[in-house]
Amino acid sequence: MTLTLDATPDADPVMAHHNAFGAVAAGILTSVLGVAGVGVGLAGMLGPPRSVQIGWLVPLIGVALQLDPLGGFFIALTGAVAVPVGVYAIGYARREHLGAVPLSVLPLFAAAMMLVPAAASVSTFLLAWELMAAASLILVAAQHARPAVRQAAVFYAVMTQLGFVAILLGLMVLSAAGGADRFADLSAVPAGARTAVFVLTLAGFGSKAGLLPLHAWLPRAHPEAPSPVSALMSAAMVNLGIYGIIRIDLQLLGPGPRWWGVTLLVIGAVSAVYGVLQASVATDLKRLLAYSTVENMGLIAVALGAATLLAATGATSAATVAMAAALLLLVGHAAFKCLGFLAAGSVLAATGLCDLDRLGGLARRMPATTILFGVAALGASGLPLGAGFVGEWLLVQSLIHAAPHPSTVVALATPLVLGAVALTTGLGVATMVKAFGIGFLARPRSDAAADAREAPASMLTGMVAPAVACVVLAAAPCVLATPLRRVLAAVPAAAHADLSGMGTVLHLPGLAGSIAPGLIAVFLVIAVLVVLGASRWGSRRRPPPVALPLWACGADDLTARMQYTATSFAEPLQRVFDDVLRPDTDIEVTPLEESHYLVAAVAYRARIGDAVQDLLYTPVIRAVTLCANGIRRAHTGSVHLYLAYGALGVLIVLLVAR
Amino acid sequence: MRGWIAKIAAVGRVTEPADDAPPAAVGAPTGVAGSLQIRHVDAGSCNGCEVEISGAFGPVYDAERFGVRLVASPRHADALLVTGVVTRNMAQPLRNTLEAIPAPRVVIACGDCALNRGVFGDAYGVVGAVGEVIPVDIEIPGCPPTPTQIVSALRSVTGR
Repeated sequence: MTLTLDATPDADPVMAHHNAFGAVAAGILTSVLGVAGVGVGLAGMLGPPRSVQIGWLVPLIGVALQLDPLGGFFIALTGAVAVPVGVYAIGYARREHLGAVPLSVLPLFAAAMMLVPAAASVSTFLLAWELMAAASLILVAAQHARPAVRQAAVFYAVMTQLGFVAILLGLMVLSAAGGADRFADLSAVPAGARTAVFVLTLAGFGSKAGLLPLHAWLPRAHPEAPSPVSALMSAAMVNLGIYGIIRIDLQLLGPGPRWWGVTLLVIGAVSAVYGVLQASVATDLKRLLAYSTVENMGLIAVALGAATLLAATGATSAATVAMAAALLLLVGHAAFKCLGFLAAGSVLAATGLCDLDRLGGLARRMPATTILFGVAALGASGLPLGAGFVGEWLLVQSLIHAAPHPSTVVALATPLVLGAVALTTGLGVATMVKAFGIGFLARPRSDAAADAREAPASMLTGMVAPAVACVVLAAAPCVLATPLRRVLAAVPAAAHADLSGMGTVLHLPGLAGSIAPGLIAVFLVIAVLVVLGASRWGSRRRPPPVALPLWACGADDLTARMQYTATSFAEPLQRVFDDVLRPDTDIEVTPLEESHYLVAAVAYRARIGDAVQDLLYTPVIRAVTLCANGIRRAHTGSVHLYLAYGALGVLIVLLVAR
Repeated sequence: MRGWIAKIAAVGRVTEPADDAPPAAVGAPTGVAGSLQIRHVDAGSCNGCEVEISGAFGPVYDAERFGVRLVASPRHADALLVTGVVTRNMAQPLRNTLEAIPAPRVVIACGDCALNRGVFGDAYGVVGAVGEVIPVDIEIPGCPPTPTQIVSALRSVTGR
């Protein structure tokens, strides 16, 4: 008893010490795993294919691993995301007091994600997939003391497990029809089974990648998960959904027929436009980034669909460009979205806020984080000097160059999809201007934002790495030429890729068109310097500048309430896309007691839900609840009744088995 | 469309012919002759002067043909046009507006209230005439001044 009492006061520092140690250990372990993943992935992309069979690890089936260019690409990409996230997690876990369970699951999650692309058989793939899903679920539920987190975790759990069921069924059909467990041994699959596998796996992998209408977990889980986890999920885990589609549907079953391409095009275009629309009106920074992930995965699905459709109609050059666009978009998205979530996490850790309407003025308090988020926002907006630019340019080129085509489907689909991509990019720019301008510039809109302090060194270090990757991808995407060539050669839709023109000036293989992102960057920098120098030279004879207060329409000073908010910035878009977004707005005017005409207070409330979620998910959830209530009636808690159920069950089994 | 054209043909030109340019009152403030961007502030006017100013910028008197424009922000302006007696609520905003106009600048007081408090005298809420709050360069007397007077005063600044 005395011992216990003595031990109690020491317990807290010991716990804190352990947590600090745990944070460092988990972060370093994640980063080391990431470095190993990058190494293994590069070996897979550049070296000869290798395979390993570990029979003893799992009874009966064993674990079959292989390293080929396509898998290596995704392993390297996941590893490259895990390295900065691990470094960042050291500082983040200390500031946000992450518990021991999420810290120990973080490296496991990273490892599981790198195991998925290495799987060489259906059973290993499913095992790794489920390991990844379970680990991510534990991480999403890390701060389960909050009810919102629990709700999001349940939602995520149901969706990810339903997705797993779809993948499980699809791969079982594939395995049965192909007559083998190992991917390499699969024989030709009959057409009916092929269609079934495509539909089932597209549903499963699409839900993981966040494609409409199975995207609903993203905007729910991301705002509630710790930021390093959001970064891992949004920059690495969703990529594996795309990996699944490429590996199973486009490589093992490919090349796909036209309607596969059209399906991917439609789903991708709808996801991209809907995702960016929701992002443009979102006021929560992490929710905005989550919808931006839906948008980018939609664009990647568009690229995959375009590659499939164009390859099926014989336009192989354009198909190759589309496939290269998909891979470049994947890499670019991983870089800027990882950075975006890490910067959002650093804002969250500094202010406790993710609501853009309460942020602002962070540029002065957190200059490094502001610059880093700016790099991410530039990447996400798809403009030159941004990480997403070259990928989107390639996608647009592939769609443009496919247009004069004898096939009606291609001639109709490509201009329509091109319009969707253009709309997506335009709205994406508005979204990122909002996220950066409202969130980081102008004056702080709350005390928490005014008292923000810069993130610690480990978090900044973790963010600098993806920022450098963004800049390199924007200025010199030719560093990816060799790996891309190896990966493209592995995909049937782009098997005869000739990417020799991918240097400083990027020539499209087999098509007229070229771009030099590095030269664009150099010219832009020179232009900025020339303008600055010329204006300084021109101003040498002017009188010295005078500092005056900002014009506040005659009032003495501007207040933070005079500024644009995220809601008011997005209001025109919300008005234009009223039918899609279905905002629920409400203005409440309270008059003074003395006179009805004098106003005491005006309250404006706006809630923008997810229309797809409301229309599709609510009836399903209601039906499930109804069934569950019905079944609950049968569970009265009476032992006698349960014994009767048991007896009845045995009787039925006996009758059936007779 | 045809209605407009017929109307234009039937009405013809309504603008009054211009008199000779009045003598210059002050040097052109921007160093560019023939152009003046004006920010108008109502410091407590009865709106009589505003009606006449809108008349001065209307099709009949058309002050814009002499290079005068009303602008929406003091940041765009070379001159401040003040009407009415300066009330307590508007005294500081008036100073702020003058402060916001880039130098060199011209202040034009329009109407008797702006020049000498007019009928408002020592009423509660009155701080003073415009000249008691900020320095005034040009004065336009009248209650209210006619558009011709206003245009003439503005031309004495633009020099056209």
